[in-house]
Amino acid sequence: MTTYKSIALRGIAAGGIAGVASALVQLLVTEIPIRAALAVEEARAPAGEEAGHSHGGEDELVTRGAQVLGGMLGVVIVGIAVGLVFATAYALSKRWFADSTPFTRSFTFGAAVFGAVALLPWIKYPANPPAVGDPETVNYRTALYLGVVVAGLVIVWAASWLAAQLRAQSQPVRTTAVLLAVAAATAVVLLAFPAPPDTIPADMPVNVLWQFRLSSLAQLATLYVGIGVVFGLLVDPATRRTRAVEKASV
Amino acid sequence: MTSPAASLSAVRVPKWAFAVSLLGLIVTYLVLQENGLALGAGSELLHEFFHDGRHALGVPCH
Repeated sequence: MTTYKSIALRGIAAGGIAGVASALVQLLVTEIPIRAALAVEEARAPAGEEAGHSHGGEDELVTRGAQVLGGMLGVVIVGIAVGLVFATAYALSKRWFADSTPFTRSFTFGAAVFGAVALLPWIKYPANPPAVGDPETVNYRTALYLGVVVAGLVIVWAASWLAAQLRAQSQPVRTTAVLLAVAAATAVVLLAFPAPPDTIPADMPVNVLWQFRLSSLAQLATLYVGIGVVFGLLVDPATRRTRAVEKASV
Repeated sequence: MTSPAASLSAVRVPKWAFAVSLLGLIVTYLVLQENGLALGAGSELLHEFFHDGRHALGVPCH
């Protein structure tokens, strides 16, 4: 009998592993456009003066090296926290691909969470590097961002509800109906939410901006899909059985 | 062997699991969003320390 505690511990482990992978993507990939964006920001500010936010310099609160490390640590902590919530949602879900293997359940759940809380907000409000973003609008932008995240999670929940309602239909019909409903709901969310309020400053090179945005998306995919894959590996009895057979054959 | 999915859906989720999940969400908020709302003065250090991670995960900043 599997207990909630063992499921939760596997969620923490999956989140930690996916978080470390995502933090490595950050160190090796995302930091490149971040450095370029910080150079743009520094070129803009008159010597020693920066508006309310420091990225190095003499009066810095945290050094650049600490920000790189802290950023990676933050990703790992978020990974662990999300992994824990993911495991709880997984344990609670009764209708999520109920006839599939635990690995398939976990992987599709991870992919769906990625779509809801990462890809959807990324499409509507693309990630911006440092040197982009008006401090005046940060609370408004945060509210819009969280609104889209919540809307995405509602779509995922509603999709699983709809799939359960259509249980009498054949699997291809059910899948098509759910995909059409998800596409329609996504279109409504994208149209209903207002456009991002900030304009991109003219001194921000387009290639730096998009290198950053794609790096950010890669990192988010590593985190969320990674949690789904690793948690699936940890909960699926099939992986343990394989290992036992291997050991026995040695 | 019973169906793996069936054995997993038999997991009993205790009440404290919701408290644990809430804690997870609060930690996520502190790392990604803390702008001084919850911690006041101590938040700026936290905000700057996790700066790169917040940008990288696509959360609005500045």
